[in-house]
Amino acid sequence: MSLLRFDGVKKQFMGRTVLADISFAVEPGELVGLIGPNGAGKTTMLNIMTGYLPLDGGAVYFQDRRIDNLKPFQISRLGIRRTFQLSKNFPRLSVLDNCLVASEAAGVPRDVALQRAEEILADLTLLRLADRPAAELSGGQQKLLEFASCFMTDPQLVCLDEPFSAVHPDIKRIIFEYIQKRNAGGTTFLVIDHDVAIMRELCRRLVASSAGRIIADGPTQEVLQNPKVVDAYLVSEV
Amino acid sequence: MNTRRKFSGRFLDPASTAIFAVAAVLPLLVQQPYWQGVLVVALYYGIMAVAWNLLAGFAGQFTLSPAAFSLLGAYTSGVLNFHYGLSPAVGIPLGVLVAGLTGLLLGRISVRMRGPYVSLTSVAFLHIVSIVISNSYSITRGDLGLQVPDLFGLSRVGYFYVFLAALVLVQVLVYQLLRSRAGLFIQALRDDELAAASRGVDVTRWKTVVFGISSAMCGLAGGLYVHFIRLASPEIGTILQSGLVVTMAVVGGMATLAGPLIGAFFIQVASEALRAIGMQHMLVFALLVILSVRFFPGGLWGFVEDMLRKPRVPAEPTVAAARERVGP
Repeated sequence: MSLLRFDGVKKQFMGRTVLADISFAVEPGELVGLIGPNGAGKTTMLNIMTGYLPLDGGAVYFQDRRIDNLKPFQISRLGIRRTFQLSKNFPRLSVLDNCLVASEAAGVPRDVALQRAEEILADLTLLRLADRPAAELSGGQQKLLEFASCFMTDPQLVCLDEPFSAVHPDIKRIIFEYIQKRNAGGTTFLVIDHDVAIMRELCRRLVASSAGRIIADGPTQEVLQNPKVVDAYLVSEV
Repeated sequence: MNTRRKFSGRFLDPASTAIFAVAAVLPLLVQQPYWQGVLVVALYYGIMAVAWNLLAGFAGQFTLSPAAFSLLGAYTSGVLNFHYGLSPAVGIPLGVLVAGLTGLLLGRISVRMRGPYVSLTSVAFLHIVSIVISNSYSITRGDLGLQVPDLFGLSRVGYFYVFLAALVLVQVLVYQLLRSRAGLFIQALRDDELAAASRGVDVTRWKTVVFGISSAMCGLAGGLYVHFIRLASPEIGTILQSGLVVTMAVVGGMATLAGPLIGAFFIQVASEALRAIGMQHMLVFALLVILSVRFFPGGLWGFVEDMLRKPRVPAEPTVAAARERVGP
């Protein structure tokens, strides 16, 4: 049983096809990268699978349960956590409270949640900022905080939308290593990013999309050498 | 502003406690019945300002309908007494219920709206309530209003303490709500609804709940007030009344706990005191409001908080302090 499955997903915006026929699956424990040029529909896929956009055809399944008819909070409670391209935190809440929102919504006991928040914030170098309002954090720290919130509830699938874009190399390294650590512990990841070097190092499998279609899906190196991928995306990247 | 850091006490925040302690001795200092009446009205507005601040300041739903819910509370008790002889002891709780349930309904309707759309919907709602009441002559006697009895023959000082008790009650409820997980969700959806949903918060549910709670509080204010002025009139629910409540909360300090209390007393007392200067008092009053908003954008209490704020301790690890504030 796949953890996540896109089955012939279609999406149009104002009559323009954004996703033509998207089908792929993510297996438990995988670390999958989703790559493609701007406008390929990567974020649209993420928005559909997390309930932020309705689809126009096809279906999305999580553990064989259809989820494209659920609301975002219901999908989140199934164990699918996500980040956004532009970090979404709660600026007037403290860093610690930002983390606690997810655990409280999932009914994690406060003691367990506090212990977990301490560990995650320490790993992500945010512990000393725990009592600061999120609004006082830098852009990179905002990204780390949103990323940290994903792990407050032992997620089954974490979807990251451009986690490495516009952040300091040190923060890239922190996020990179934390993804590896959690993936080694069994957490499944679906990562969207344009940093090919990082994606090559991080992901064992890549799914490449272009113009709303999957053009390649397989081991990272194979996909990066696929002529279709090179033509559509990597000409200026490799 | 990191609001939850203020919620470190067990029962009520220190600033509100101090304000209530001062308020409790005011009748000993203010002997004139007129000024005692002014203080009662300030407490009435205080309840509504606290209720509106919960909805707008902490939950981010900028409505303009607190007066409509006060009107519902007032007329529920008024109509039940006028037509059926029901005691205010029954009518006021029923008014709270009616206002609360109507608030839930308005919250449900507004759930997909944001910003000015919520405000406009609430204005439309206020006008609907006001028009229905004004035109239901056989039940409400329209603009003539309904004469209702006082509250068990209370004196003005007696009313003062009843209103003060009600204000303390709603402030404690707001404080405890904001300390709870519901408070965390409410403030999260104020900051970013999409982010809250992505963390598993049922935005629809909590938005609706906070509408209901805030409206019920306004219903309580209206239910008490109608038995203080002894007349249920559509004038209780005008847009100007809502505007006054909003002004009080904003001038006092929106999204702070003590701000609405300070704003209600400041605006009501200043407004009455300025009457002494004659016809120009509204002009001076308006100028005062503009100046206070201009120079204290965080409100009067926000300004005090800024002045009192201790230098930040960049210490390692502040999570201990944060844990203490969050509570067990």
